[in-house]
Amino acid sequence: MKKIININFQGRVIPIEESAYDILKQYIDSLRKYFANEDGRDEIINDIEGRVAELFSDRLKRGANCITDDDINAIIASIGRPEDFDAIDAEPAATGNANTNQQQQSAYQPQAPSMPYSRGRFFRNADDKIIGGVCSGIANYLHLDPVIVRIIFALLFGVLFWVYILLWVIVPSQSVQSNITKRLFRNADDKVIGGVCGGLASYFHIDSWIPRLIFALPFIIGIVSSSFHTLFWDWNWGWHFGPRIITNSLGSTLFITYIILWIAVPYATTASEKLEMRGEKVDLNTIRNTVNDDLASMKTRAEKFGSEVKEAAQNLGEKAKEFGSTAGSRAKDLGAEAGTTLKKRGSDFGSVIGTLFKIFFFFVAGIIALSLFGVLIGLLFGGMSVYPLKNFILEGFWENFLAWIVLVFFLALPLIAIITWLIRRIMGVRSRRHYLGFVFGTLWTIGLISAIFLVANLAHDFKSRSGVDETLNITQPTSGKIFIQANVKPGTYYDDNWFGANMNHSPFFGLSDDSIMFRTVRINVLKSKDSSYHIYKVRFSRSPNTERAKQLASNIRFDINQQDSIISLPKGFAVERNDKFRNQQVLLIVEVPVGKRIELDESIDDYEWFNVNIDRRRGRRGINVNFDDDDLNNSCRWESNVEYVMTDNCLERVTARSKKNNNKGGHFNMKIDKDKVEINASGDDDDNDNNSKSNNNHPDKKPSTDTSGYRYHNNKKKIDIKVDSTINIKTSTTQVDPNSSSQSTAANSMAKCEEVSKQHSHSPFLVLEQLF
Amino acid sequence: MNIENTQSQMRKGILEFCILSIIRRGEAYPSDIVDEMREAGLQILEGTLYPLLTRLKNAEMLTYRWVESNSGPPRKYFSLTEKGMTFYKELETTWNELANGVNKLTNKNESLPTVPDNTNTN
Repeated sequence: MKKIININFQGRVIPIEESAYDILKQYIDSLRKYFANEDGRDEIINDIEGRVAELFSDRLKRGANCITDDDINAIIASIGRPEDFDAIDAEPAATGNANTNQQQQSAYQPQAPSMPYSRGRFFRNADDKIIGGVCSGIANYLHLDPVIVRIIFALLFGVLFWVYILLWVIVPSQSVQSNITKRLFRNADDKVIGGVCGGLASYFHIDSWIPRLIFALPFIIGIVSSSFHTLFWDWNWGWHFGPRIITNSLGSTLFITYIILWIAVPYATTASEKLEMRGEKVDLNTIRNTVNDDLASMKTRAEKFGSEVKEAAQNLGEKAKEFGSTAGSRAKDLGAEAGTTLKKRGSDFGSVIGTLFKIFFFFVAGIIALSLFGVLIGLLFGGMSVYPLKNFILEGFWENFLAWIVLVFFLALPLIAIITWLIRRIMGVRSRRHYLGFVFGTLWTIGLISAIFLVANLAHDFKSRSGVDETLNITQPTSGKIFIQANVKPGTYYDDNWFGANMNHSPFFGLSDDSIMFRTVRINVLKSKDSSYHIYKVRFSRSPNTERAKQLASNIRFDINQQDSIISLPKGFAVERNDKFRNQQVLLIVEVPVGKRIELDESIDDYEWFNVNIDRRRGRRGINVNFDDDDLNNSCRWESNVEYVMTDNCLERVTARSKKNNNKGGHFNMKIDKDKVEINASGDDDDNDNNSKSNNNHPDKKPSTDTSGYRYHNNKKKIDIKVDSTINIKTSTTQVDPNSSSQSTAANSMAKCEEVSKQHSHSPFLVLEQLF
Repeated sequence: MNIENTQSQMRKGILEFCILSIIRRGEAYPSDIVDEMREAGLQILEGTLYPLLTRLKNAEMLTYRWVESNSGPPRKYFSLTEKGMTFYKELETTWNELANGVNKLTNKNESLPTVPDNTNTN
């Protein structure tokens, strides 16, 4: 049962089913839209309606009570749907287009078409204005897209601001028909993030991966080079300023440009806009072709979508939304554009949020991928630079082989894979067959397994540690003190540079083809059990078994040289290539008898001791390199350049700290009289003694245990004082007030001082002068 | 897709000429024209016809007059103007040229030995 309504159609009353009426109304609307630009549209519509009315009366005459759905559909079929019409675009169409242009112009230009101005056709556009229509007018004049002009103005805002104001004032406003046939849009069909590059590509008629590459490249290079730079901060590659400035600034400029374009440039939604985006002529044919192309691309996109199910969830949701909305708009007639535009606007909002998520996701994924990339590059280069060491670490065929596999599959392969993926993504190439991914993955797993094997192998190589110890024959020094230093045999020079890195702080140096010099030496000082000095030398090495370890240990040459109280050690020991690096170490145990002295020169500090620990309980790899090995810590603590005396409680400094004096500042008291100068200095001079020579080396000095300080005087008038920086004159209590009554005495003293100072040009006297 | 494009282009080219030739024979209204075309083997939709007629009328090739009818709304009867007649004559000449040329070419091709590849020997 259906509702019947009466309509007034072409001057006649027609009874028609309501649903049929809806169909009819839609049809007429679609015709209206179709002929929107036709000159004589109303006439055409009228004619068609007349025909419809004729057919209505036919049916009614033949006995129908009313017009039904079927009637309407049959009529529509016979007259035809708009999309089935053959559009004539030959001469009549040209005139038609000219007519439509005229019609549009007449619609938009109520006033006289041209105002005679000397500027020619340059007006401000009153129709397409955001502020004053200046940009749009310029665009019109130059046949450009106003969006481009606006962007230029926005970017060069500072300079062009006044230009803009000037133009706004001078140039008259006018409704100018937009005569651009090519506008910049964002391409919704060809988008990765926002369709900006796709739109640019269409505008300039280039492939879409070109702008993508241009936008992405400095960005990528910037990230790669910064990660590169951070990894090798210690290495003087020297060019870390050059490319980075270019890539970083360029990258950020392009980034900002992308954002601006994304915001300012609209999507090409309607078919005519899409045509404009490509700069093609907008007429019914091309519109139809575009729509058909959209359909076809919709199909292939649906296929791609099916094969891309594995990709991110946002991608999925995004495409489904697009598919749904575009398919929905296509299902309706071309004429129902208003409705579809509304729909698209609604889904646009949702897709904006989806896009934001997608960006965030891609951004994070990109950062992770790129940092991975950088790490891999670092490892690769690190691996390459370690290459000379390779022969010293890897032993045997298998280890070498595994190492190569690790290098290629484990390290280089992901690099290649990431690069390939990036390039593919940028170029928009999608491979249906994912075998490449499988191959890469398999090879990488092989690399991973090889890496594990290699590490296990290496760990095995360092498993057993063994040592060879021997007692060294030394003669007891005559002076009751032993002085230990490390030296370089004159004439031997080692290469201290390695790939630009400074090897001064590395445990090895002097890398050559068949040997490396190591400095893994440590000196422990202990209390001697008798009254003689003893030196023991222990040489350690590691190996899969103890035998080999012992053998390697005994291969270490570390001969010491004694000249009375000075013991000279070599700067390091050599490890041959055949012996391989197996954490060879030399430990010197120096036993000092109680009451005797020892001092170690600062050259000893160059030794770098480290210990490779194989610990099966901890961690995945179980190799642990300790630089701070404390398991041989039954040694007295010592610092270089300090003379120590052995007591019952281990080493003690000869320049003992005053136990009762906690004075950090120190006192400095000086008395000058005719034949002697008496100085009282007491202070905390135990700090920072490493680099300063102690002032106690003077052979004439008598060590004082007097807590009040030191007294220096002797019978000659010459005074030999070495004052170091720790005696703080600032806090001295002997400041003489120049205004006091004791000025005369001060002057006297001053005179004395000067006199004295003339004789002796020791700098401390100059300092003292200031006091008086 | 492309073949349909070409085919429709071909059709579009001769459409005006056909319509004008029908109207030349006497006054006609759109329904008649559609019927005649169908009889001649050329299908045309009224939706295509009406705009075309309107354009021709605007270009002063055609005129029309209203004829009342008791079985429906009034109808437009179209007839050729002088300008339209001139236009028609020119189109006829063009059509003859085209038809002759195409016929010559198609007939000629049949008598040539068939060339397997598409090299153009002309």
